[in-house]
Amino acid sequence: MQEATQFKPGAWLVNERAQSNARTFAAVLVLCTLGCALFASWLPLQVSIVTVFLFAGPHNWFELRYFLMRMPVRFGRSRNFFLTAFVGLGTLTITYVSLPLLYRAALLSEEGWLTIIAIWNTLLLSWLGLLVWQRSKQNTKSNWFWVLPVILALGAFNWLTPEFFSLILVYVHPLVALAFLDRHLRRNRPTWLRTYRSCLVMLPFVLALMIWRLSQTTSLAEDNGLFWRITQHSGAELLPFVSSHLLVSVHLYLEMLHYGVWLLALPLLGPLVMGNSTRSNPYARVWDLKTVPLARHPLGFPKAVALALGVGVVLVLMLWVGFSVNYSTTRDIYFTIAMAHVMAEAPFLLRMI
Amino acid sequence: MKTVLAMSCLAVFVLASAFAVRADIARPKPSEQAAIKIVYAQLEIVPDSNAVSARLEIHRSDLKDLLASIEGTPNTSLASSITHGGTRTIIAGMLLFLSLSFAGVWIARASRSSSGFSRGHKAIAVVLVAIATIGTAAIITHGNAGPPPSYAWRNLPANLTSGRSTTGTIRIALMPDDPNGGGAKLIMPVVKKNARGEEE
Repeated sequence: MQEATQFKPGAWLVNERAQSNARTFAAVLVLCTLGCALFASWLPLQVSIVTVFLFAGPHNWFELRYFLMRMPVRFGRSRNFFLTAFVGLGTLTITYVSLPLLYRAALLSEEGWLTIIAIWNTLLLSWLGLLVWQRSKQNTKSNWFWVLPVILALGAFNWLTPEFFSLILVYVHPLVALAFLDRHLRRNRPTWLRTYRSCLVMLPFVLALMIWRLSQTTSLAEDNGLFWRITQHSGAELLPFVSSHLLVSVHLYLEMLHYGVWLLALPLLGPLVMGNSTRSNPYARVWDLKTVPLARHPLGFPKAVALALGVGVVLVLMLWVGFSVNYSTTRDIYFTIAMAHVMAEAPFLLRMI
Repeated sequence: MKTVLAMSCLAVFVLASAFAVRADIARPKPSEQAAIKIVYAQLEIVPDSNAVSARLEIHRSDLKDLLASIEGTPNTSLASSITHGGTRTIIAGMLLFLSLSFAGVWIARASRSSSGFSRGHKAIAVVLVAIATIGTAAIITHGNAGPPPSYAWRNLPANLTSGRSTTGTIRIALMPDDPNGGGAKLIMPVVKKNARGEEE
C-alpha cells in the first residue's frame, strides 16, 4: 500500500532518462580527460600559453558568479564564518601580492626569504583551520577534530620546505574544482554522482601514465623568458631531476580540468529535468541577473551584484588586452593576483560540505 | 602547583645539562671529501652526424648550482633547505609533535565515543598510516631502492653506435686545480660483458 502511494507515473521515465544521460556524461568525462592529457603531453608550452590566454580570465568570472549564487542574502548564524573568510581573504591576498615587492625592496638572505614564505603559508593554514572550526560549530553532526592534526602536519611540512609547500598548492588547487563538481552534482544531479566518482578513479591512472611516459623525456627548452616562466611555475627549479616537460604537462593537464569544470561542467549541469516539465538551469543563464538569489531577493543587493559582475567582465577584457600586448608580464601579474580566487574557494567549498 | 614547579625545575635542569654536555663535544674534523664539491644534474648524450664539433649545452639552473657551489652560497635543494634551516626545523618539529599529539587525542576520543570511527575516518586513518609506513620504509631503504645510477647508462655504447641519445643523471664534481694542467674529464660507467653477453 505504501509502495502504491509513492508510485509516480513519470518516475520511471525520469530514471531512464537520467541513466541514459549519466552514460553520456561519463563518455564526455572520459573523452575530455583523455583529450586534455593528450594535448598537455604533446605540446605543453604552446597549449599552456593558449589555455591561459583564453580561459584564465573567464573561469575567474564564472567562479565569481558561482560564489555569488552561493552567497546567502543574510549571513545569520554564518556571520562570523563569512567575516573570517572575507577578512582573511583580503589580508592574505594583500600580503601575498606584496611579497614580490618585498623581495625586490629588501635584501633578504635565502633563509630569511624562506622564513617569510613559511610565515605566509602558516597564516594561510591558520585561516583554513579557523574556517573549519567555525564551520564545525554549525555542522555539529560531523566530527571535524581530525582536521587539526592534519593542518599541524601540513604546517610542519611547510616549515621544513616552504617552497615545496607552495608548489603543492599550485598542483592541488586545480583539483579543488573537482570537489566543487562533486558537491554540485550531489545537490543537482544525485543520480550522476556515482558515475562521476567512478570516472574520478581514472584520474590517478591517467596521471601515472603521463608520469611514466614523460619522465624520460628531455627537459623543455627555455629559449625565452616566457618558456622559462612557465617551467618555473611548474616547479622546474625546485625539482631539477624531474623533466620539465613532465612537470609542465601534469600542471597543464590539471589546469585544463580545472577550467573545464568551472567553464563547462558547473554552468551546464543544473537541476535535472523532472518529468515532462523542464526546469530552468540558473547556472547556465549567465546573463540573467535574476538567477542570482542575492540579486533576486527583495532584501538582496541587485546593484552590487550587477556591479561586481560588470567589473568582472571589464577585468576579463583587460586581461585579454594585457595578454595581447605583453603576455609574459600579464601572466606574472595574473598568477600573483589569482591567489585570491584560490583562497576564495575554501570557504565556499566548506559551506557546501 | 607543586607538580608544575617540579616539572619546571626538571625542564630547567635538563636544558642546563644539555648546554653543559654540548660544550664538551669536540669540533668534528673536516673530512677530505668535503673539499670536493658535487652538483647533481641530468645529462643527455646525443650523437649527431651533422655536428662539426663537440658542444656542451647546459641549463641555467645547473649553471646556477655550479656557481653557487664555487662561491659557497647555499643551494636550494630539498636536503640543503632542511639542513640549513635550523629555526625552521625546530618549528617544524614542534608542529609535528603537536600534530601527533592531537591525532592521538582524536583517536582516543573517537574510539571512546558511542559511534566510534565512521567509515570515512577509518579510510583517512588507513591512508595516513599507509603513507607514513611507505614514507618510513622509503627513507630507511633509500640506499637500496631503485637501480644504481649506472643503470641509465647501460645502453650507452649501443646507442652511440646506432646514433640514439641516452639520458641519465650525472654528478658534476668540482675538482681542485691541477698544477700539471689537464682539461675536464667525463667518466662513464661501462659494464664489461663476456662472449655470451653476460655481465662480468
